[in-house]
Formats: sequence, C-alpha cells, structure tokens
Amino acid sequence: MTEENLIEVRDVKKMFGAYLAVDNLSMDVRRGEIVVLLGQTGAGKSTVLNLIMGTTCPDSGRIRVAGFDPFASFKALKGRLSVSFQTDRLLPWRTAVENVELGLLILGKSRSQARARAKEWLARVRLDGADDKYVHELSGGMRQRVSLARALAIDPEIVFLDESFSQLDHVTSKALRRDFLQIAREFQKTCLLITHRIDDALEMADRALVLSSPAKVALEVRISDEARSNPRKIADLHAQIASAMGGEAPAEH
Amino acid sequence: MSIAVDSGRTSGAEDPAAAAGLVKPLAVAIEARRNPEARRDIVATCIVVVLLLAAMEITSRFVPDYIMPSPVAVWNAARELFFSDPYHVAVTLVRLTISVAIAMVTGVLIGLAMGMFPSVRPYLKAIVVIDTGIPALSWMLIAVFWFKNPESRIFFILLVILLPFYALNVYEGVRALPKELVDMIESFRPSRWQVLRYLILPHIVAYIFLTTKSVIGYAIRMVIFAELVASAVGIGARMNLAQSTFRIDHVLAWTFFLVILNLLLQAFVNGLEKISLKWRAEATVR
Repeated sequence: MTEENLIEVRDVKKMFGAYLAVDNLSMDVRRGEIVVLLGQTGAGKSTVLNLIMGTTCPDSGRIRVAGFDPFASFKALKGRLSVSFQTDRLLPWRTAVENVELGLLILGKSRSQARARAKEWLARVRLDGADDKYVHELSGGMRQRVSLARALAIDPEIVFLDESFSQLDHVTSKALRRDFLQIAREFQKTCLLITHRIDDALEMADRALVLSSPAKVALEVRISDEARSNPRKIADLHAQIASAMGGEAPAEH
Repeated sequence: MSIAVDSGRTSGAEDPAAAAGLVKPLAVAIEARRNPEARRDIVATCIVVVLLLAAMEITSRFVPDYIMPSPVAVWNAARELFFSDPYHVAVTLVRLTISVAIAMVTGVLIGLAMGMFPSVRPYLKAIVVIDTGIPALSWMLIAVFWFKNPESRIFFILLVILLPFYALNVYEGVRALPKELVDMIESFRPSRWQVLRYLILPHIVAYIFLTTKSVIGYAIRMVIFAELVASAVGIGARMNLAQSTFRIDHVLAWTFFLVILNLLLQAFVNGLEKISLKWRAEATVR
C-alpha cells in the first residue's frame, strides 16, 4: 500500500450464496481525495462500502484502509472513519446535539468536550438553534444535516456517504451537497461517496468510478474544476458515465 | 385512514392552567382535558360506577347485609378502615413495589442476556417459557413449602410470576431494534457496553413501561392472594380476617381501596412514562 492511498482494494470478490456481488474489484482512494462510486441499483455499491468499512468479509482479495484490514482489525479503525447513510439513522430519544455527541462519547470524550464539539458542528451545518430539538421536530433536510454533523464531528480521516443526499428534494440536496463539499475541502477529508445520481458525481467528485454489475470498475473518470465549469465537457462526461452505467442515464432530480 | 402526528406536549403559554401556576393534576386528567376521547372514557366510567352503585343499593334492600351491604355501609366501612388500617395498606404497597422492582430488574437482565448473548439464549428462553407454564397457585404452594418467612414467600411468588413478562418483552424489544440503528452505531466501532448504554437501554425503556403497566393489576391481585395465604399483615390478610368474621362490607371496602390503588399506580407509571418518553411523537389514528 502506498503512503498516498488511504483505501486500497485489490482483486476483491464477494459472493452471497450463488450470487456474485463483487467481481475482482480493484480501486484506490488517495488521501484528501473525493471519490464517487456510481452504479445502478443492484450494482453492489453498498456491498463494496460494507467491505471497505469492515462489516463484511471478502471471499478473496485484499482490502486496506489506513493500512489496516478493516474486517480483521475492526477496532483499530475506531475514530478514523465515519459514515453518513441514505436515511438519517438518528436516535429518536436523543436531541439533535445529543445525536451529534454520540460518536464523540463512543470515542471516550468527556460529556462537556463532546457537547462543545457537537454544538460547533451543528453550527457548521447551519443548524444552530436546533440543538435541543428531538428528531421528530426536525425536517428531513435538518435530520440529514444532523447525520452529517455526527459523521464529521469525530474528525475522521475518511468519510463515507452512502446515498446521503438521494432522499432529499432537489433544493435541499443541492444545498447540503454544497455545504458538505465546502467542509470536506476545508478539512481535507478523504471521502468515498456512493450514489446512483450522475449529477452528484459531476458536482462533487475528483474522480468517479462507475461500477458494472457484479461490482467491478467499468469506467474511471477524473473530474477537474475546469471541466466542471465547462458545460460541454460536463455533458460529455455525463454521457460517458451514463453509457458505462448501462446505457440510459437514471433520472436526475 | 390518515395518521396525524401530535407531539402531545404544549407550552405553558398555551396551557392556561400551567400559565396560572396551578399544580398539574394527574396525567389522566390532563389527557382528558386535551383529548375528547379520554374525556368520553372518563364519563363512561363514571356512568358505569353510578349504575353499579344503584344495582348494589337496590340489591341490598332485598338480601341480608352479609350478602350485599348498601353502598353507604361500604362507604362507612371504607372510612373506618382508612383511619384504622393504613399500616396494612402501606405494607401491601411496600411489598408490591419491592416485588415489582426486583422482578423488573431480574427480568430486564434476563431479557437483555437473551437478546445479546446467542449462546445462552436457548437456555434462558427455555427457563422463562417453562416458568410461564407453571400456574400461580403452584408457585404459592411451593413457596409455602420452601420459605418460612412470609415476606420471602411473597417476594418469591411475585418474582417468579412477573419475571417472565419482563424477560420476554425486553427480549422482544432487543429483537425489534432497527437494524439500521445497529449498523449506524457499529460504524463508530463501540464496545459492547457502549452499544448497551447508547442504543439498547434507551430503546427498551418503552417496553419496560409497557410491561409494568400490563402487570400492575395482575401484581396487585397476586400480592393480595399471597398475603391471603401466607401473611398476617397486609390488605390480603385483612380481607381474610373480614371473610372469617362475615364482614362483607369490609371485603368490599378493601376491594374499593384496591381499585383506587390500581388507578393511582397506573397514573403514576403513566406519568413516569410521559417524562421518560417525552421524545416520542404520539401518533393518533383518526
């Protein structure tokens, strides 16, 4: 594993019974890079995420995250990575600030330290004033912001986003993507985003990996800021990615 | 059918009673003021009570006192017992509280062990299921053989009878944990203790309250029955005395106290539940 690669996946295979979910997948994510993993529903994106997070064991191949085998050395990665999921997954009995505190308390921070950091992160995701609101008192977008704050508050080296913006309306999703991108760049986070939405990739990624089914990298594209500011280039990239994903581009919101 | 979410809480500014600084009444009464359905329930209960009292009064005119005393005679007996026998009420209440608390703690621990440790689950489950199949009367007779001390007998009887309710409900609570939340907390790589503290225990609080509300009435009946066969003090023992001295007015007065005790305990647990589960949005099906 090179010093630069924070995530390294080599020839990984995963089967569920007779179903091949991941087929000799190889990919890397470099420190500070934002990589988007794109694929149609059922392409095995979430399985790949579970393998990288260490919650699923590969049948063959090798995975290293920050130098550790994430499955065998599960606890060694405590505090070094975090996830924001498709749904907010907030604990309903905790207020917004208490939800953000969760990861910090698990890492062993004192209650006062955790509270101060949680408030700071809530402000960063534009939720100051919502500290003491319970989950049912928050809108969908606010909940997802709390979920993002919870993932970022522990100051992880790697942030995984599993379709985190896909259940929000267009306006909220765009605002949240913009805020996340700003935070990720400011704190130089290494990010792996899972999505089926090409627009998310074109807006956020340094690099997009398109998965075919079973999960295998079918296309890798670099997306520079220069390309992002050129509508023609963006349209070309969109077409390339859509084609690699199976012909038709999924409907964007 | 639509489901409306109602937080069930109002601020002091919206609540004239709270704004005036009045002491909050019982949870049931608060609910009744806010919820017309609860008010209808209370009115219906009052009507049924009045009808029962009327039936008692009419029957008492045609049968001897030792069969059916009049409501006035029962009321007088209740007043007499209220001033003469508070000690027995207190003893029963203490026994009830301690027994339910011990059964709750033991049942919750067993339920958690069933939910969290697959290796011991089948054994604990077998013990609990066998326990549920043993009649309460068998446990009472066994307690008389096994224990000399009346207190030990009563605590033992209530423990073995109530424990399975807590154990099975808590086990179901652990099983009902949303997998999404388990995956979320696991992503932080917590210790087993942290999973218990931050996820499982808060989640099962609702199940503990549900069980407590379900078993209170049953627990009262069991403690009275246990006192009747195994003790010289407590409401059960006093009811035994009333039966042997043909004081049916006392039996009915004690019964009246037991109904009130049940209502008060239910209101107390409901109040605690409202405080503990204030985070929960209550759904109302219209």
